[in-house]
Amino acid sequence: MKPFGYVAAKDSGHAVALLAEYGKGAKVLAGGTDLLADLKNSPHPPPDVMVDISRAADLKGIALTDAGLRIGALTTHTEIVDSPLIADTLPALAEAAVVIGAVQTRNLGTIGGNLMTCVPSMDSGPTLLALDAQVTILGPSGRRTIPLSELFVGPRRTSLGFAELLVEIVIPKKNVGKPSAFQKFGLRKGQALALVNAAAGFWGGDGVFAEPAIALGAVAPTVIRAPKAEAWLAGRPISEEAMAEAGRIAATEAKPITDFRASAEYRLDLIAVLVKRALAGAHARVTPNQKDLAS
Amino acid sequence: MNVTLTVNGELRSASVPPETTLLVLLREHFMLTGAKTGCDIGDCGACTVIVDGKAVNACLMLAAQADGRTVVTIEGLATREGLHPLQQVFEETGALQCGFCGPGVIMTAKALLDENPSPSTQEIRTALAGNLCRCTGYVKMIDGVHEAAKMLQSTETPALAAPQQR
Ligand SMILES: Cc1cc2nc3c(=O)[nH]c(=O)nc-3n(C[C@H](O)[C@H](O)[C@H](O)COP(=O)(O)OP(=O)(O)OC[C@H]3O[C@@H](n4cnc5c(N)ncnc54)[C@H](O)[C@@H]3O)c2cc1C
Ligand code: FES
Ligand code: FES
Repeated sequence: MKPFGYVAAKDSGHAVALLAEYGKGAKVLAGGTDLLADLKNSPHPPPDVMVDISRAADLKGIALTDAGLRIGALTTHTEIVDSPLIADTLPALAEAAVVIGAVQTRNLGTIGGNLMTCVPSMDSGPTLLALDAQVTILGPSGRRTIPLSELFVGPRRTSLGFAELLVEIVIPKKNVGKPSAFQKFGLRKGQALALVNAAAGFWGGDGVFAEPAIALGAVAPTVIRAPKAEAWLAGRPISEEAMAEAGRIAATEAKPITDFRASAEYRLDLIAVLVKRALAGAHARVTPNQKDLAS
Repeated sequence: MNVTLTVNGELRSASVPPETTLLVLLREHFMLTGAKTGCDIGDCGACTVIVDGKAVNACLMLAAQADGRTVVTIEGLATREGLHPLQQVFEETGALQCGFCGPGVIMTAKALLDENPSPSTQEIRTALAGNLCRCTGYVKMIDGVHEAAKMLQSTETPALAAPQQR
């Protein structure tokens, strides 16, 4: 690799101070699985200084708070897979984490790095977006919280500003425990990016799709919601036919591209199938009175 | 910059430029050439080592990030009593051909068996998904991991079953 400088941040506040001090030439380093792999092949000059946040303990951890389910940005995919709290309240996120890369990547790669790389195929994106996740950002002028949807700007572009750090992801209380599921289709079962991925969730205790949410990855410049499919489902009696129709509607809301992995037409077909499967997966997690118990 | 870490039970230090990966540190500064440089971008698993109990791609971790941690490489598996059961079985059954992927496969399998002493075939396949082999068809490796798991659990090899230094 081309030479760069290095500083280790003690905690999130220290990281922001370092980012502000070193300015435009600084770059955040978390698990390094995207950043270091990119740097090795990049024709561009490397950052002047790598601000290593991998030891910032305050950026780690999964916990229930007054706001909802908080996941520190530095939480690794393996930690998500192994978390009893995630298994209990947000199994769809574990379904997404366990199919990221291979075990070696999951042991290093973090959820924050996954969101911040901001490729449309990111596997953490759909579930979090479907559950209206919020993200907390720390910068030189303090903390701010925005919906995850406002973090994503375009391929490899986020709305993070100068010297800002992604601190945590919060699933709002009202959606903690909402039945949801994640589906990914890649060219292989392991070590393959998604051709399409999808997440869906709804409350189903009354036999109808209540507050349905559908999100899709790898089929638009960023991870997107499928609002037309959601609106069509809302209030309808739960059935396999309705799930299939929602999948077909969702496909009309995406703009997939043709690339070396798959054609746009193939991706459209995949959307319909994966949305149907994600809805069915969510349905399998529905139990009576779930919503009342959650809130 | 200075980095100090425990490698195969021994405390070791080196002065390296910040862009040095853990893989380069191990191979070029500590002369531990067991972990291989394959793709160098996280795809092949030839560089797999165990850091604080977890299998990682040494090519995607900076040496600086391993400072203060505990690293086990393929060189740390054999003891005075002999090879680690994984090494022994792989050798006896011809689970490897050219051998290039071997250190990575064995370290990934070791990390798996440390956490899950009797994995199912599917669990072994999932664990090895990030270890590419261009020679074998993986079948003897998977059988070998099952066999090593049995050896590690049997009482006849207490010396080998004892936890390795981590
Ligand atoms: C072999 C391989 C397979 C992979 N397979 C998949 C896959 O199947 N699915 C998938 O989604 N991804 C995959 N990835 C991509 C990658 O592993 C994940 O995106 C991972 O989560 C990135 O996290 P990281 O901690 O390693 O990020 P890093 O590489 O450390 O950082 C990535 C980017 O995010 C920025 N960043 C990181 N953390 C923060 C923060 N807290 N605040 C602000 N900026 C930050 C960095 O500056 C950098 O620009 C794969 C990667 C490899 C090498
Ligand atoms: S050399 Fe590290 S994964 Fe290929
Ligand atoms: S034995 Fe040759 S690459 Fe695996």
